[in-house]
Amino acid sequence: MADKLNSSDIMTELFNIGVGQAANTLSDIIGKRIDLSIPNVSILNPEKGKHVLDQYLAQVAEGTVMVSSISFDQQLEGRVSLLFPADKMHQFIALCLHETWDEEAVTKEFTDIDYDTIREIGNIVINSMIGELSNAVSIPVKYTLPEIDVLDHACADHFVVFGDSQLVLIMYLDFDIEGTEIAGAIVINMALNSLEEILDQINKLYNGV
Amino acid sequence: MTKLLIVDDSKFSQKITRSFLDRYLDDVTFDFADDGQAGLEKFDAWHPDYIIVDLLMPKLRGQDMIKQVKLSDPDARVIVLSADVQHHVREEVESLGVLTFVNKPLDDKKARELGTLIGKSSRG
Repeated sequence: MADKLNSSDIMTELFNIGVGQAANTLSDIIGKRIDLSIPNVSILNPEKGKHVLDQYLAQVAEGTVMVSSISFDQQLEGRVSLLFPADKMHQFIALCLHETWDEEAVTKEFTDIDYDTIREIGNIVINSMIGELSNAVSIPVKYTLPEIDVLDHACADHFVVFGDSQLVLIMYLDFDIEGTEIAGAIVINMALNSLEEILDQINKLYNGV
Repeated sequence: MTKLLIVDDSKFSQKITRSFLDRYLDDVTFDFADDGQAGLEKFDAWHPDYIIVDLLMPKLRGQDMIKQVKLSDPDARVIVLSADVQHHVREEVESLGVLTFVNKPLDDKKARELGTLIGKSSRG
């Protein structure tokens, strides 16, 4: 497989398993159908990654994002960040809590319950994605505690380390929950040798396929 | 009265877990702890019949809490409810002698199965 497909194709296949699982999980939590676009994975060098991510933040998220992130280490090292436009999050949180959403009554501030909810949703979604990747290539990972933040005027430097030995994987995740469209992104800042290890393992597992 | 301790650092998860289990358990009282260390202290003080424990938590990981609980009471009934889908994590945790390992999020089907499990294995 690895001989015939490029790195992005392979990572797209691997992550789509987890994204599908994550969509099912979100659907279970919310109790509603979720229509999810199947994302392609872009694997970018730090310079290109910064440019692309800054474009997303400026255009889609208009600079204010809610970020749920988890780092992982052991054999694979990296940090996953789920980026959601902050202006859609009150409605999304209401869906998760099975509460009625009242646009008029909502303030721009997030409560501790809001943070806790998105932290846990992020935890479940990231575990689905990275855990399924880990299972697929039989490489264990160990997670840090999930973190949550709201960033005004967010820029790429908030999410990624731009070292020579780093890569930036970006997936755009557009989903629709009964008419509520949310254009999120998943950013994975991964050590170059971690990607190489995944691709080596794919070669071993699926040699010649 | 069955005493059930939910150990999870997410209030959101605590709420979901209690809400679902309430549907399938009669005569049950819940208590909560926000991390593994607090869970261990509540276990020692309250002696719950069942513990439902998350894994990735501050202060004391679920795995380490379970080990200490089992040292204190080898017959303690522990159910793991975790977002971690890694096979090797499940195998590691199951080797600690837990009743079952359930992946988050809890849903109606999983809650019904847990209700049945708790009903069947209640201390007599």
